Amino acid sequence: MQQPNTKTQRYDRQLRLWHNHGQQALENSKVLLINGSATGTEILKNLVLPGIQSFTVLDGNKVANADLGNNFFLTRESVGKSRSKEVTDLLRELNNDVEGNHLEEDPTNLINNDLNFFKKFTIVVASQLIEVELLKLSAFLWENNIPLIVVRTYGFIGYLRIAVPEHTVVETHPEQIVDLRLDSPFKELSTFANSFDFSTMTSFELSHVPYVVLLLRSLGEFRQQYGHLPSSTNEKNEFKNLIKQKMSGVTSETENFDEALSSAFRTYSPTSNTQSILQDEKISNLNLKSTNFWILAKALKSFIENEGNGFLPVAGTLPDMKSDTTSYVELQTIYKNKAKQDVASVNNYLLEILNNLGKPKDSIPLEEVERFCKNANFLRVIKYRSLNDEYLNASTTLGFTTNDILHLTVLKKKKFFYKGKLLEDLNSNVVFFVLIRAVDSFWEKYRRYPGVHNSEVDADIPLLKRCTQNLLQGWGVNPGLIQDDHIHCMVRAGACEMHNMAAIQGGIVAQEIIKILTGQYIPLDNSFIFNGMNSTSTTFRI
Amino acid sequence: MTHQTQWTTSIYPLLERTGPFANTGFEPEALHTCKILVIGAGGLGCELLKNLALSGFKDIHVIDMDTIDISNLNRQFLFRQSDVGKSKAEVAANFIMKRIVGCKVTPYFGKIQDKDTEYYSQFTLIICGLDSVEARRWINATVVGMFDPEDPSTLKPIIDGGTEGLKGQSRIILPSFTACYECSLEMQTKPKTFPICTIANTPRLPEHCIEFASVLEWPKHFPDTKIDGDDPTHIKWLLNTALERAKEFNIAGVTYSLTQGVVKNIIPAIASTNAIVAASCANEAFKIVTNCSIYLNNYMMYTGDDSIYTLTFPLEKKENCSVCGSAKVNLDISKEKTLLELIDILKELPEFQLKKPSLRSLKTSLYMQAPPFLEEKTRVNLDKPLMELITNGEELTITDINLPISLQLTVTFV
Repeated sequence: MQQPNTKTQRYDRQLRLWHNHGQQALENSKVLLINGSATGTEILKNLVLPGIQSFTVLDGNKVANADLGNNFFLTRESVGKSRSKEVTDLLRELNNDVEGNHLEEDPTNLINNDLNFFKKFTIVVASQLIEVELLKLSAFLWENNIPLIVVRTYGFIGYLRIAVPEHTVVETHPEQIVDLRLDSPFKELSTFANSFDFSTMTSFELSHVPYVVLLLRSLGEFRQQYGHLPSSTNEKNEFKNLIKQKMSGVTSETENFDEALSSAFRTYSPTSNTQSILQDEKISNLNLKSTNFWILAKALKSFIENEGNGFLPVAGTLPDMKSDTTSYVELQTIYKNKAKQDVASVNNYLLEILNNLGKPKDSIPLEEVERFCKNANFLRVIKYRSLNDEYLNASTTLGFTTNDILHLTVLKKKKFFYKGKLLEDLNSNVVFFVLIRAVDSFWEKYRRYPGVHNSEVDADIPLLKRCTQNLLQGWGVNPGLIQDDHIHCMVRAGACEMHNMAAIQGGIVAQEIIKILTGQYIPLDNSFIFNGMNSTSTTFRI
Repeated sequence: MTHQTQWTTSIYPLLERTGPFANTGFEPEALHTCKILVIGAGGLGCELLKNLALSGFKDIHVIDMDTIDISNLNRQFLFRQSDVGKSKAEVAANFIMKRIVGCKVTPYFGKIQDKDTEYYSQFTLIICGLDSVEARRWINATVVGMFDPEDPSTLKPIIDGGTEGLKGQSRIILPSFTACYECSLEMQTKPKTFPICTIANTPRLPEHCIEFASVLEWPKHFPDTKIDGDDPTHIKWLLNTALERAKEFNIAGVTYSLTQGVVKNIIPAIASTNAIVAASCANEAFKIVTNCSIYLNNYMMYTGDDSIYTLTFPLEKKENCSVCGSAKVNLDISKEKTLLELIDILKELPEFQLKKPSLRSLKTSLYMQAPPFLEEKTRVNLDKPLMELITNGEELTITDINLPISLQLTVTFV
């Protein structure tokens, strides 16, 4: 086996996360950045380094002195020249394998006159772009299934929104996939488990029987006696006793028995996510435009309804466990072979579906079928809300949601408590979502942002307050929910784009883009606020 | 506008005006006069230098003992292919000074341990972008030890960042006011180790075969050479040995990449996570120095594998912390147990993470790991029961290469 080539060495630390097929997906991606702002170039930096195919910077501005203060991809010599060209040149230096393009043009012109321009990209990032043009662009991208990332950096506040009709993930990267089929062993697995004769084993041998075998045998005995799986507490204790009985011949350590006891009731039935994916109408309405994900989902469904007898294909992975080498390797082979068999069955359904659709047989490679089957229980589908819906139906749905969120129900994805205390009030950051909208309506009204010049600060606070109240009233939300301190804080910021905040946003946005492009890990659904003052963040679906 | 003030437009609104979320002691001028130290010029370090320079810090020092490797280039954006083999600190410093006029970066190509407290006390604040627990423990103990409650100028905040794949954290350590690095040692995930008996007798995983090659076979064949994870001839030898072992036991999955991963304990690292954590650290530095805003209290963790999730909370000081508290360990143990058994118990204590503890009583050395003559002399004690060596309730002193300072242990017989 040879030492890896230069490219593999260069990308080694990321290939360990998203592997070659994830890398390939990145290398097929064309990213468009609207506005080469500090936030925008920081996002691109984090995408050029891991190696996307190409990026394009669309920006009609000339480099100003002020740009040098927050944008790393400009030099003093850049001042007065095209910002799109200057940042593109310096970004390209980061990775020779990435193509960089620039277009010196006002994005508004393109949006108003040549929307088809945007069709060539895999994903579009709109940095510091506001309402009217943004909505026009987002409607077009939505129609064309091109993901749009909206990002704003404003003082100590960062905002991010993702919009695409649908995003599907096969590899969500759960911590471990443990699919042992203890409650419904297939033939080869039962045969193997029954081949052990505990009565003739030495203590050493007994202490190296894989726990899977211990459990299958004990379950077999239990079933013989009771005719069903253990369910009541008494039955479960009885079952555990059956395991412990086998331990009597062991004089040394009993790690494998401990493992058996702690995994005694592990089952593997379809998760609610997978179940709802299998019910999705996209499966019954397959057509030539259907993505591989939904075609595979239909094949999976057919498998479950037939050969699978209600079960998913076997994942084919075996976690490490106390065992002698031979038993472990044999057991591993049994699971692997069964997984292969199941993949073959799913693939048969797939070929039939492809044939019916009039698609070529090789349009979904076997490797992809294998990944789909292995991850079948961890699939994820995200159906986003369009930006246009969010803005245009603000008085009904948005108003209702915002009110809810402001009051209490921010989506706390995981409840993570440290020493029993959740110390930050997550709700408060949604205030800044409202205030980002408010400074935009301030701009619509006065054609400037509040507090840009020192002399305006005091006068702009009540003006921004009025904008905020109007906005909230329009949504049917209690206008008193936003405090003066928060309004003052936005005016104080004077629309500045600090480098540190741009860099935080640059990292977060690039991370989400990588998840979308590779189709691995689960991206944000759908809005995010970072508060750079107390360093907290809030994720919410609006 | 002159170049010296080029950055001001992006930060001046926050520096020229105070506001509801500013701290007392609002002091924007400090930004241009203070001296900042960045430890590490790698994934976080490159980002930190850029961020600090663009935040208006003008006098930055950076320490790193490493040279540039090709696998750094996917995230350490101040380095190019032609820089491979050069000092990280020097290349990074030169790049920043060339790009951002008016910012001085002073590199030191060497170890943090080369420098003394006099050196560290010249800085207003220290930011760590390190990948090693040992280095963090050392700098933490050094800086916490420098603090004199009588003299506020000796208080040096440490801002510490770390990443692993799509996860990361940033935190602020204010010596004696917040938890220090040592207080939270238990939160560190220990590197995965495999029992020797599994490696020697019942391998199951490709990792077991690789450990067989590196832990058992390498020292037999090359007793005088340490494994260098970056030397392809070393990795190839280990790979071939592991492959033979795997073939013998029918184990699949031994590859070059896995071999290098296991031998070097490689942690996945990407540009985006580094960017988030480093920018968060720089943002905290900016706020602490200028007081233009409240700052992180005192720990933020980020995970990106399932949506975007951060958790911010004040990590609490540990009363018996061996660095910032009154570290004392009390242990109840049977007097029949041997000294070796006591040492094994100590090694398991998660809050200290000892590697090779040496033990002394008031009167004598019980067991010393080094130097060799002392190790040899004290080795006889290992198999003796404790009652022959010490008395009930006796206080022992533990030293360890992992321990920044010594630790007091009281042994009670039960």
